Amino acid sequence: MPRPPTTLQTLRQLLAKRFPQTPRASRGSHPTGIAGIDAALDGGLPAGRLTELVSARPSSGGQSVVSRLLSETRVARERVALVDGSDAFDPSAVPPDCLRHLVWVRCRDCGQALAAADILLRDGNYAVVVLDLRGLDERALRRTPPSVWHRLQRAAEAGGAAVLVQTQSPLAPAMPARLVLEEWLPLSASLRTRAEILDTLEPGRARAPRRLDEGEQRAG
Amino acid sequence: MTPLAMRYAVVRAGNFSLQALRRGDPALAGRPVALVCGEGRKAVVTEVSAEAHGVEEGIPAALAFARCPGIVIRSRDPSGEVEAQRLLIAAAFGLSPRVEATGPGVCTVDLQGADPQRAWARAQAIVAELAMAGLCVTIGFGRTPLLSSHAAEHAGRRDPRSDESVKTEAALAVLGDERAFLAALPVAAASPSPPQAEILARWGLRTCGQLTALPKAGIGARLGAEGMALWERAAGETIRVLRPVEPAKTFAAEWDYEPPVESAEPLLFRLRRFAERIALELRGAGFVAERLTLTLLMEDETDCRREFRLPEPGTDIDGWMRVLASHLEGVRTAARICGARLAASPARPPEKQDGLFDMGLRDPQAFWENLARLGAIVGSDRVGTPVPADSYRLDSFTLEKPQEAVPPPEGQPPHPQRGPALRRFRPERPLGVELDGSSRPWRLEGGGLGGTVAACRGPWRENGDWWKPDRWVREIWCVELVGGGLYQIARTAAGWVAEGMLD
Repeated sequence: MPRPPTTLQTLRQLLAKRFPQTPRASRGSHPTGIAGIDAALDGGLPAGRLTELVSARPSSGGQSVVSRLLSETRVARERVALVDGSDAFDPSAVPPDCLRHLVWVRCRDCGQALAAADILLRDGNYAVVVLDLRGLDERALRRTPPSVWHRLQRAAEAGGAAVLVQTQSPLAPAMPARLVLEEWLPLSASLRTRAEILDTLEPGRARAPRRLDEGEQRAG
Repeated sequence: MTPLAMRYAVVRAGNFSLQALRRGDPALAGRPVALVCGEGRKAVVTEVSAEAHGVEEGIPAALAFARCPGIVIRSRDPSGEVEAQRLLIAAAFGLSPRVEATGPGVCTVDLQGADPQRAWARAQAIVAELAMAGLCVTIGFGRTPLLSSHAAEHAGRRDPRSDESVKTEAALAVLGDERAFLAALPVAAASPSPPQAEILARWGLRTCGQLTALPKAGIGARLGAEGMALWERAAGETIRVLRPVEPAKTFAAEWDYEPPVESAEPLLFRLRRFAERIALELRGAGFVAERLTLTLLMEDETDCRREFRLPEPGTDIDGWMRVLASHLEGVRTAARICGARLAASPARPPEKQDGLFDMGLRDPQAFWENLARLGAIVGSDRVGTPVPADSYRLDSFTLEKPQEAVPPPEGQPPHPQRGPALRRFRPERPLGVELDGSSRPWRLEGGGLGGTVAACRGPWRENGDWWKPDRWVREIWCVELVGGGLYQIARTAAGWVAEGMLD
């Protein structure tokens, strides 16, 4: 009988030995058109993977990121799905031509948003899926079992879509890439062009998500 | 196969009442089942499944129990038989538009003018399709309806012979040499009356061939006009005029649950049965489904109705079921479900041709099906491609069906977008706003935005639809709060509201 692993390194070696996997080939990326984000992600949103963008403060530019992403994918004629958890997207904030490749899913709660994302990620027809979970009940989101995120990750790998998960605080465990927008925009930003605003965005790295402990879950 | 030998087809479901019962009850699959007629000790087996070894038709139910201990005894299911009969008729319309509902589990189809090869291939597809829908049928082809019926019965035998007189393949049979085929048939196949059967037995006639070997006039002289008709039936010469039924005009199915159900599983099973029949009826009439409407009837006499707009009209049952299942997963009812109704709105199949350089879909079927599933989850009016209207009114857009091919971009807009994108609050949040000496907002309360205003810009006054009863006027301000955050607020006729966050 093998000795139980004593260190994390030993455990990793054991898992690698027992479950050998061929290295996943990179399937390219989808540039967002925002220098700070593309640089942090080595070129853009990676296809077949989840990327979490945390808007840590109000008015930190998350919605403008979506509008730029729509413009970029429109030029490339790629289909985009927006799972709008709290039904907050404003079509008039984007040029009408940049909406023609968009499928907008207007959800009412966290359950609907995750169910819709699960379907869209398996579809295979979308280049980019944006899962916007901002504005939803934070406690309900934190009660989401980690298996849901793993399921979404597997679905993204199978479907090949680049997935941008927008949250208010780090949420999904074991996220391949997580960026955070910590600076809020001043009123003077409303005088600048959106391209100028987005050029100044500098996302940082986020902390790991905090899970609800048992007591908090019961209270919720 | 010649056009003459395939002028008629008979679609026949053997043990029809038993099959109709088993279609509606998944618990009976693979189990020995007997249908009985009568009650108590007088109950007699009328139909029996192949699994019930030792049980024959006509024996008392008690004896059936004794011979096959695990047997399930049931009485007929009239509503299930009606549903199965409609399914059979709908399938028969796939062969030809002239279909007669000859009897329970039997349809006769007029194939005159049809291409025999295509009719044979179509019949094979129908047999497979009905088997998927829980109805095993045989199809016989012949020169007359009667001969076709003989062929269908022959195909349904456990060991159908395949010689020169009859070509048999799977559940299909077509008569070649009619005389040779009929000669070997028992005389009972000509349906003699009991007195006639007794006389024929006394004469020592066992087969149709032996009967037709006698002169027709001689039979007529001894048995009268009825005897002549019997001889003609035995010789396969009877020709009758079909009484065609009309194809379905409404595409709906309804079912009552007794006892009421509490879970989605039995509901989904029944809905699939409905869908199978409705899809066949639609195809038979040259339609596809554009919308589905599901109505659940509750025990407390309320109902729960939901309409599903199918983004891609079609008759794909699996796609329908995924849409319905997605909806039922989220349905919570206060009372048990005692009935269900499924209706399909018919439409003509769409016709289209894509351009050579169109950026089409990788998997169109998955795309449309998944849109329908999303519609079942969030509501079909909440999924689609937004198309802004020509108005400055908030939320003036429509959600339309996505285009199958993404068109080329139209180029950059002449004026670049300014300011951060608006992130809407739906519904708008009522606000309490205190104004400073110059009538500018300096403090907000309520709407989750309480705080002092650090800076603000505005106002911008907008109005529209002044010629309509629901005219609108807004005075818009952009405010930055001391704790951070840019918000778009507005003074409307109803007071101050927060329209969204500038993000």
